[in-house]
Amino acid sequence: MPLEATIIIIDNSEYMRNGDYPPTRFDAQSDAVNTVFGVKIDSNPENSVGLMTMAGKGPEVLVTNTKDLGQMLQAIHATSSKIGGSIDLPTAISTAQLALKHRQNKNLRQRILVFIASPLEGPSTDERNMVKLAKKLKKNNVAVDVIAFGDAIDDSENPVLKAFVENASSSDNSHYLAIPPGPHLLSDAVISSVVLAADRGIPEDAIGGGPAASTSGAANNFEFGVDPSLDPELAMALRMSMEEEQARQAAAAKATKETGAPSAPEPSSAEPEVAMDEDEEALLKQALALSEGQDVDMTGHQEEEGHEEDEDEEIARAIAMSMEESTKESKEKK
Amino acid sequence: MEEEKSALEHLELSQVNCLNEAGEHTLRSIVASRKKNTSPSTYLLSDVDQELILNLHFNQLVKIRSIVIQSSVESQAPKTIKLFINRPAIGFEEAGDAVEPDAAQIFQLTPEQVKEGKKIPLRFVRFQAVNSLHIFVASNMGDEDETRIDAIDIFGAPLSGGGLKDLSGLGKENDD
Repeated sequence: MPLEATIIIIDNSEYMRNGDYPPTRFDAQSDAVNTVFGVKIDSNPENSVGLMTMAGKGPEVLVTNTKDLGQMLQAIHATSSKIGGSIDLPTAISTAQLALKHRQNKNLRQRILVFIASPLEGPSTDERNMVKLAKKLKKNNVAVDVIAFGDAIDDSENPVLKAFVENASSSDNSHYLAIPPGPHLLSDAVISSVVLAADRGIPEDAIGGGPAASTSGAANNFEFGVDPSLDPELAMALRMSMEEEQARQAAAAKATKETGAPSAPEPSSAEPEVAMDEDEEALLKQALALSEGQDVDMTGHQEEEGHEEDEDEEIARAIAMSMEESTKESKEKK
Repeated sequence: MEEEKSALEHLELSQVNCLNEAGEHTLRSIVASRKKNTSPSTYLLSDVDQELILNLHFNQLVKIRSIVIQSSVESQAPKTIKLFINRPAIGFEEAGDAVEPDAAQIFQLTPEQVKEGKKIPLRFVRFQAVNSLHIFVASNMGDEDETRIDAIDIFGAPLSGGGLKDLSGLGKENDD
């Protein structure tokens, strides 16, 4: 449960109008900010979160650190009608650092969380300058999380943003998360990621592979279609319910096996089928005999007797078979 | 001058922090015992560059007479020091630009002072009501990237009648 003051920097550039993250990038981001705010505030009663934008006319602090969700929502709502311009990440981060420096409670550690969906542009966004900025943050004990989505995802070998986070990280307190577009919700990917692991009291290694795992499809890869780390109680309830059902089935199978006799309806349903088959076979034989020129009446008579005998035999066989089946079934259930 | 007592015992440890310290070698590790650190394995090391800001908060107002800064590696020993008082939000830019009297005192350490841990007398009048002391290390002896401090000690006394947490220590008033 880290004791932290966080500034969330959101992207409000023109790139946020894109609809590749349902419903739009900006709305997906608003949702994720809401989620992050909730988790941060709940993780420690002293925590506070601020909000600023980094595009438009220039980086702007919308909400200084607060615990009030209302202020957050109001600021996001106001921003939703002011999407425009392009981002200025270095200035935004410096501003955020200044805002954090003047936080009221000096006991809180400082953290900047950046949502970015625009490509890095501008004179001071090359790797050298970004690393320099990262070093400055590290020197001032500011942790940085970057959540890159949309156009901010850099497919090159070593993205600038990743290098930025790595250089700002001291004792692994900063994280880079890339969330590619897909059917999953941005907020789901964020909450199940390593970025919020510490705040949710989950060890970071338990998140499993970090960004890769969390972005590979938010809800489809899990046992019951529910991410156990998202809702541990639901996952546990589902698992318990499954185990109970398995136990019940096993007990039922055991009971049938112990009584020895196969249950009544099974053989009766199997019997006529086999008998019908046998009838057919007999008819076939008769036809064969006919074609071989044998006496029809004789074969007909013989056939009737033979059929009766066959039937008895068949019943015995059917019972044996159904018993075999039921034992096999009970074994499988086990 | 009467025997001086270490003011480290009045540290508010939860507030003690340091900027640009390395993750494994923290300021807290060398002051946590509230005594001058003597273990050779624990020391404070800078992280990104040679600068350090040590923020020491006290649980009551103290007067500070002198300090000791000790480092066992000469090239990594701190050289230029700026002391600030009661400036809890100080950062590197501010501290780097500061001159006296904005900074309470600026001085250069000599190799003997850091090696043997000699007391450095301060301008006593400027340290009469210290709630928090901030030690800014601007450079080190060998211009290395890492600055190492093995131990610090602060000599002084609580302000008479000031400490709420030390009401029983009536005898201390005689020290002043």
